[in-house]
Amino acid sequence: MGPPPVVTGISPKEGPPGTRVTIRGEFLGISVTDLIGLKICGCDCLLSAEWKSKNKIVARSGPCKGRGDIIVTTKSGGEGTSTVQFRGYHESVGPMKESAVWVEEAAPPSLPWGRRPMSPTAYTPPDPLGLSTEGDDYKFPEEELHELFPDGSGKLSDENFQPGWYLLEHHSNTSYEDLKAGMVFLQRKVEGQKEGQLSFLKANTGAVMDQLDRLVLLKNMYEEDQRKNGREPLPNLQSAIEESISLADSLFSEILSRKENADKTREALSLLTRHKFLFQLPSSIDKNIKKKEYDLVVNDYTRAKNLFGNTDVKLFQKILAEIDKKIEDLKENLFNRMKTMPINVQEQTKYIRLLISLNWDGDAAWTAILSRKDYLMNLMNKVKEHFKKKEEQESNEKGRRKLRDWECEGSWSATRADWCGAACGALASELHALWPLARRYFAGELAGQPTLPQRHTDLKEMIIAMVESFSEQMRGCLICTGASGGAGAGGAAGVAADVLRARLVANLRHLRDAYDSLLKLDLPSQPLSIVEKVIFDYRVHGMTVFLQRAHKRVKGLSEKETWKIEEFSDYGAITNLPHLLESYVNDALSAIHKCVLRSGRRESPLLAAGGEPLAALQRHTQHTLLAFVAVLRDLTMHHEDQDFNNTSLSVALDQRLEESAVETVSAGRSWQQRLLIAGANAQYTRRRTLANILTPFENYEMPKPLQAIQATKDELSALEDNIAEMYLEHKGDPLVGTIEPSMYMGRHHTDADTLLDDARPYVYEIINNLIAVHAEVDSVCGAASSRYVRDICETVCEELARLAACAPARSRAAAFQARLEYSLLRLAVADHLTRKAENYLMEALAGLPPLDNEEDKKRLDNIIQGFKKRMELQLTSLNCNMETV
Amino acid sequence: MRVNRRVVIQFTVYAFHIKLRVDANCLTMRTLKVCAAAASAMSKKPAAQPTLHKVIMVGSGGVGKSALTLQFMYDEFVEDYEPTKADSYRKKVVLDGEEVQIDILDTAGQEDYAAIRDNYFRSGEGFLCVFSITEPESFDATQEFREQILRVKNDENIPFLLVGNKSDLGDKRRVPLDACRERAHAWQVPYVETSAKTRDNVDKVFFDLMREIRSRKSDDSRAANGNVRDKVKRRKIKCAIL
Ligand SMILES: Nc1nc2c(ncn2[C@@H]2O[C@H](COP(=O)(O)OP(=O)(O)OP(=O)(O)O)[C@@H](O)[C@H]2O)c(=O)[nH]1
Ligand SMILES: [Mg+2]
Repeated sequence: MGPPPVVTGISPKEGPPGTRVTIRGEFLGISVTDLIGLKICGCDCLLSAEWKSKNKIVARSGPCKGRGDIIVTTKSGGEGTSTVQFRGYHESVGPMKESAVWVEEAAPPSLPWGRRPMSPTAYTPPDPLGLSTEGDDYKFPEEELHELFPDGSGKLSDENFQPGWYLLEHHSNTSYEDLKAGMVFLQRKVEGQKEGQLSFLKANTGAVMDQLDRLVLLKNMYEEDQRKNGREPLPNLQSAIEESISLADSLFSEILSRKENADKTREALSLLTRHKFLFQLPSSIDKNIKKKEYDLVVNDYTRAKNLFGNTDVKLFQKILAEIDKKIEDLKENLFNRMKTMPINVQEQTKYIRLLISLNWDGDAAWTAILSRKDYLMNLMNKVKEHFKKKEEQESNEKGRRKLRDWECEGSWSATRADWCGAACGALASELHALWPLARRYFAGELAGQPTLPQRHTDLKEMIIAMVESFSEQMRGCLICTGASGGAGAGGAAGVAADVLRARLVANLRHLRDAYDSLLKLDLPSQPLSIVEKVIFDYRVHGMTVFLQRAHKRVKGLSEKETWKIEEFSDYGAITNLPHLLESYVNDALSAIHKCVLRSGRRESPLLAAGGEPLAALQRHTQHTLLAFVAVLRDLTMHHEDQDFNNTSLSVALDQRLEESAVETVSAGRSWQQRLLIAGANAQYTRRRTLANILTPFENYEMPKPLQAIQATKDELSALEDNIAEMYLEHKGDPLVGTIEPSMYMGRHHTDADTLLDDARPYVYEIINNLIAVHAEVDSVCGAASSRYVRDICETVCEELARLAACAPARSRAAAFQARLEYSLLRLAVADHLTRKAENYLMEALAGLPPLDNEEDKKRLDNIIQGFKKRMELQLTSLNCNMETV
Repeated sequence: MRVNRRVVIQFTVYAFHIKLRVDANCLTMRTLKVCAAAASAMSKKPAAQPTLHKVIMVGSGGVGKSALTLQFMYDEFVEDYEPTKADSYRKKVVLDGEEVQIDILDTAGQEDYAAIRDNYFRSGEGFLCVFSITEPESFDATQEFREQILRVKNDENIPFLLVGNKSDLGDKRRVPLDACRERAHAWQVPYVETSAKTRDNVDKVFFDLMREIRSRKSDDSRAANGNVRDKVKRRKIKCAIL
């Protein structure tokens, strides 16, 4: 066992409970665990003890009162001693005293002279009954006492003193015996006092008498004094008291004022720490603004506003004013930022929200909407100007390179396409920003106050205006047919078809993308329909352009005709014109189908029944087809003044006809051939191509242009008739013209009465001519050739009838001969006889006297048989066609 | 006026009451005191306790009073400054071969605690008036302390040492040695320079002071034993209370 602990130092040596004390000494333990006891003034403080070293312990004093030793106990040394003492006291808290706990600073119940402890109760003898109150733990509840003695009091000095109360309060647990003892005690005391007084008086009679005299004297003096100075001695007393009060006050005033100053300073300090937040706010706002932590600023600001908004403290007001100014600046700044385009919506909404939470007076969101609108309008204009300028530059460059006007691509240029893309992009993106903003604005999310109803229409008008301006610009950009665009097809002439198609598709896609994105926004229908209209118009425009191109190409077909026979169709030999027509129309339609026919989301169909586009389609189709007809007609008419090749009609020149027919295959066609080819083309077109043209319509599900087809058919029929007529005119007329001279060529050789065995040569000539025609026509028209041959036959027959009527056969021989010739002709052209032609022949035959004898009949038959036999080749050639060959 | 008059009447009535009771109590109080004195005289029979010398450390805040005390008491030097309120130390030491007890009261230098000084000073038998030689203000303050001590103790020859502390900080010295000596001379007290840090002169000041106290006590006891020789020398102002 080591030496016991000795405490030789204590710091501080006194203090209220909980004071942190440093205990120093020797042998205070060799380790933390060695320390097993610490008592300060008898209070166990081990719990709070911190063992520092063998010389030092730090602890907190307990709830002890009075002076006492500090006893340290260690395992190693046992219980120790102390050379110093600690004094514990309970801190009384007064107005002058600082305290760690809250003290109600209500004014003490003060008597006029301002001293509290002088209450008479303080002098109540502690125990009038002489009974110990120790162990009297039980306290009688005070409320019950009040109830029992409503007007009583337990205080001995009170006028309404109630012994019952006193006894219950102090001696509720005292036994009856004790109380009786107490009674005796009290009686003795009273008795003793009485006795004491009596004996005192007896012993001091002289003095008492003396005092009595003095009292009388005092009374007299007092009365005299009253007489002299008035009845009231009290004013003097009062003034004296008042004087003393003021003196006391003045004594204390200095200390009080000092205390006041101290209080103020303390208050200011605590204010500073308590409201550190507020004082640091200006700088922290600056800092946060710099760091763009606006949310923090708003938070701080609203907090400050809530806490100090209606403070009366000048200092706070000043700081608040400063803060307000900063916030005002910030608001201005935010507002400007919010207004300054371009800015993305998130950021803008952020600013708006901040402004709202900062109580921005204006309608921030609305301003944002307006500024967005202005920005969009501006942007549109800028886009327009930019591209206009670019175009100008380009055209200038081209001008320097001296390009022809038709090379200008007009509204199909790449620049325009870029323009369209840019404008669409601008519109879509800006509306994408603006509309949600507006929607949230009207939903009340972004507005401090409820929005004016007027705003709804305003917004709508705004959006319509924006879309309108966009649509105008797009129309100007894409659909313009004005001066800059060049003629007809909007300057499309200079653009290759595939480029055009690609541009159209691209532009349309831009427009549609924009439209789509607007659709997604759920815009009102009116602005949507404006955009839709632009798209629709552009589609119509595209369609028209394709159709116009087809028209133009068809018109240009007249130059494309090579007269090279492409195919021997059912309707004769045709060139590739009908095919070209078909393919041109097909191209246009497929382009239309590919590019514009299909409607996008929420677009009206292009070719709605009764719509203008459909009518345009029909109209253009008709124009195109009719243009084709016109081309064909042009081609037939073109070489009118060229000599009609009549040479083949002469019997003598038969050979050459054959030659030329062979030649034509490689060389340029003769006019008749072209005529016939044109005819065939027309017929082919009418019969075949037109039907073919309908197929793409059907395939692409476009309404069929039946009216146009019909009109074209009519026109083509007319053309065919025309061609036939023309052919007849140019081929038949000379042929017919040769009949009469040939008929009379051998007249002087013939005897009127001799019966001839054969027909006259003119019959053979006719047949030969017909064969030539047939050959020509058939070589070109094939199966369709009969028409021409028939027509010519008809005219031939008509001529024969006329001749027969002019020169009736008078002689029997003449009649026989005529009959023979007519019969032979009839036989030869039997396949090509029309009813009319037949009638003509019958008419001619009827004009002849009938054959009256068998011999003649027989001779005629013989001759006919012989003719048949001789002319078999000719007859077959006349009655065959390409196919049978 | 009516109210005032009533108040005054009440006041007189109370005053009367009080007078009666005070008279009654006076008797009992007096007897009690006598009894208590008797009892204490009986129980506090001086045991074999060595003589106790009560030393009080005075001086401005931060001059090193606590440092000196702790150095003397426990041979340790405290580097950090923790203002004192009032600390008490007591231990046995051997003074010139005689075992005595030294009781050191380390007081607060800080102005905050100035009010409680009077009480403490009263119990002191000797004073170490400390200042820091690096701090002229603390040197100036010694004047005030001296006056306060004389006022409270009412004795010009109270054992007193003027101590210039922090002598280890010679390079920072701002109170000239001459000034210190001059003042000590004027007060007729010894002047010693110490360093709580290096323990230079620490024991010396305490032991010197105890010697002074011891000699004062022996003087006093001689005086009490009827030797009136020194009575004239001590200009003790008698209390006027009868
Ligand atoms: N260098 C040096 N420093 C000292 C010396 N004495 C005290 N100090 C330092 O001075 C500071 C104050 O010392 P304290 O002893 O606490 O001062 P104090 O006089 O007790 O102060 P109060 O308790 O406020 O009256 C402490 O940081 C000490 O380390 C010394 O002799 N030399
Ligand atoms: Mg100290």
